[in-house]
Amino acid sequence: MDWFWPEGFYALLMVGSFAFGAFALKLPIAIALGAAAAVGALAGGEGFPLRHFVEGTFGYLDTILIIATAMVFMKTVQKTGLLESLAAWVIRKFRRTPLMLTMGLMLIIMIPGMITGSSTAAVLTTGALVAPVFIRLGVPVLKTAAAIALGAIYGMIAPPVNVPVMIIGGGIDMPYVGFAWPLLVCTVPLAIFAGLILIYPSLRKGARNEEELEAQLQKMEEATLSFRLLLPIFVLVILMAGEQFFPGTWPPLGLPVNFLLAALSALFTGRPLNFLAASREAVNDAIPVLGILMGVGMFIQIMTLIGVQGFIVVSVLALPAWLMYLGMATSIPLFGAVSAFGAASVLGVPFLLALLGRNEIMVASALSLLAGLGDLMPPTALAGIFAAQVVGEENYFKVLKYCLIPAIVTAVWAVVVILNSNLIMSYLP
Amino acid sequence: MKTEIRGTHFTALLLLVLALGVSALAGMNFMSMWKDDLFLPAPGFEKHMLSEWHGGLKNTPADVPVFIQQGEEPGGTVFIMGGTHPTEPASATTATLFLERAKVTRGRLIVITQVNAMGFTHNSPQEAHPQHLTFTTADGSTRTFRYGSRLTNPIYEWPSPDIYIHPASGQQLPGKERGNLNRCYPGVPNGSLTEQLAFALTEMIRKEKVDLAFDLHEASPEYPVVNAIVAHERSMELAAMTAMDLEFSGIPIRLEPSPKNLRGLTHREWGDYTETMPILMETGNPVQGRFRGKTDERLAMTGVDKAYVKAAALGYLYIPYDGSQPMEYRVGRHTAAILSFLDNLELFDESKAVKVENIPSFDDIQEKGVGYFLTPAKL
Amino acid sequence: MTLVYRAIVLFVLLLVISCQFREKDFWKQATAALVVVPLVLRLLLIK
Repeated sequence: MDWFWPEGFYALLMVGSFAFGAFALKLPIAIALGAAAAVGALAGGEGFPLRHFVEGTFGYLDTILIIATAMVFMKTVQKTGLLESLAAWVIRKFRRTPLMLTMGLMLIIMIPGMITGSSTAAVLTTGALVAPVFIRLGVPVLKTAAAIALGAIYGMIAPPVNVPVMIIGGGIDMPYVGFAWPLLVCTVPLAIFAGLILIYPSLRKGARNEEELEAQLQKMEEATLSFRLLLPIFVLVILMAGEQFFPGTWPPLGLPVNFLLAALSALFTGRPLNFLAASREAVNDAIPVLGILMGVGMFIQIMTLIGVQGFIVVSVLALPAWLMYLGMATSIPLFGAVSAFGAASVLGVPFLLALLGRNEIMVASALSLLAGLGDLMPPTALAGIFAAQVVGEENYFKVLKYCLIPAIVTAVWAVVVILNSNLIMSYLP
Repeated sequence: MKTEIRGTHFTALLLLVLALGVSALAGMNFMSMWKDDLFLPAPGFEKHMLSEWHGGLKNTPADVPVFIQQGEEPGGTVFIMGGTHPTEPASATTATLFLERAKVTRGRLIVITQVNAMGFTHNSPQEAHPQHLTFTTADGSTRTFRYGSRLTNPIYEWPSPDIYIHPASGQQLPGKERGNLNRCYPGVPNGSLTEQLAFALTEMIRKEKVDLAFDLHEASPEYPVVNAIVAHERSMELAAMTAMDLEFSGIPIRLEPSPKNLRGLTHREWGDYTETMPILMETGNPVQGRFRGKTDERLAMTGVDKAYVKAAALGYLYIPYDGSQPMEYRVGRHTAAILSFLDNLELFDESKAVKVENIPSFDDIQEKGVGYFLTPAKL
Repeated sequence: MTLVYRAIVLFVLLLVISCQFREKDFWKQATAALVVVPLVLRLLLIK
């Protein structure tokens, strides 16, 4: 009881206040989180610490700029007709080879995540591009969203850029060197698995009605696929790849600038586009998520302030060895509800320290995979919520249902990798 | 129950005004951290500015005071640097203790107290750290110093890149680490402000022919390199002598070689890019750890934390933790270690000796507290 | 580069405020207000 009181009580109180606000009062999640933070601060004897509330939000300032600009990019390419037109081209070309189509498209979903280290970037770029292809070819909408969310997360974890593993490694001063193969081991088998269970069965069945599909394809091709129409994509690819492959010579513009430049290039595609209106629509769609991030920032800051963070971390580490792996596989993704990066920092680092002695690179890679799963966890669920938006589904929980099995397999895979880290590393080049 | 309220232009305006009001109040609080702390150097110290060694820092927030005291007798040059990471307060406090008390009789002593001044002007989001620490001096008056962030304030070099590529080695780190002074060495003359700061320090050490250079730190108790000396190859012999002396006097300390593949840190780059013997030292500091409970000034000053007691019982800590880790103990360790290094420097190479008097011993600091040895501020 | 990013913050801030005024639900307006605070403080380079 000495251990539980009062931090354990504060933890329950904060989570309880959040649930009450979000589910009983039906407040927006952002507001419910902020209110729960205020309740926590008051209970913890801190009154109404305005400085802490505002300071907490700054943890996500860069993230909200990335999200806002990525949304602007996605809206503009949607409005020019590029997304549909490109999807139609892919369908015509690869419809007859469903396995290759599945694997190829999973890889395409992953690429922006691999290059930028951001699952949001993956969902809102190639995820948005691939969604219409899957849906037109008969993959159910919810499964499409689930596949995009998972692919984006695997992309975020796959090399060359993986921010969670950098955060975890930074916690023990481990340089980001030699992670390429371990991260591929962590992600590639899972991406294949997710593609095979969510996408491939529907693609193999093929179109039920060829004529209807043809009519749809013709409608999708309303904007002719040309170099000019593809311009925003080329611009984005060049900007992102330049930054990744020519560091030093290429100006480090950062994702927000890359997204905005690519979005602005859509003005030169020759298609009618009201850039300002598209931007406003994009930001309007993004505000609930931006607000959630602000709420989460306040929530974490107050958790840290009143001692709940240490209570959670040490409680998890206090589990007996056999339970610790279960604790790891559940607590990191659950904590990911406040963001994958937060989970990597708050829980990833202590777990890596607790597991010293096993191959650290492999263990950190697997822990980052668990942190990545946090992007499926409501309320933030960055990958999940945007994937739902991309396919036009309002209720993310419906998508989450289809993510469940691959997510469990992912967590199990991470634990298997950790348990066999030395063995696996001995087989890698 | 659904709390539905209709939104109008009026409510939008009301909320906007509220948001701006909150911004103004919070902004005033954040700006209160921009004011410099007061330091009262002991007689004999001359004040210089770091920009004298790298003009690029002039009139930037990265320029910091460098205090130099020359002893009567000729000897070597020793540099004590505090405040690399403003979240590790025993570092700046130890440097302040030397600045406010040292009487140099032989050789030359250089002191910087808050080297990354740009990190002292803000706190890291979501860490909920205190903004100030207060010490009580011998006459009962108080001295207050800021508790900042590990990283340079983003308002000085925003945005950080997505990935920080260490220029001298190509090593990749999360982008925000470009604001971590102890990842930027040897520094870049036309780089970001933090990189320029690192460059200026490397230049100062090179041009002033510093023989022995200390970079003082603290680490969380669950981090393996804690209560430790990290030494470059060139400093290893001296560090080994000092570690043995400290063990004999009841201050156990680890001795770690500077890893060759971990780049950008003082113990690596100062050694590789200058002639000095670099020494980085760590004490155990719960307030920067991941296991910590309630986070406030008290925790920073006392290190009393029940979550660390539990973690210690579980075997997760790398320091002996009996329920506290007070500032006196942490500053005492750093001070005793520096004094022991100075003794051994003379044995190591007589011509490089630096003698400093009037610095309290480990036991004095434990008994009377750190504040007792700081100069009372006359109002 | 800082100037470019401040311009982006201003752009997003204005869009958020404009959405706040078009929004018909009070709580969604409040969510937007939550986003306004850090954007203002970074725009002015206070935090």
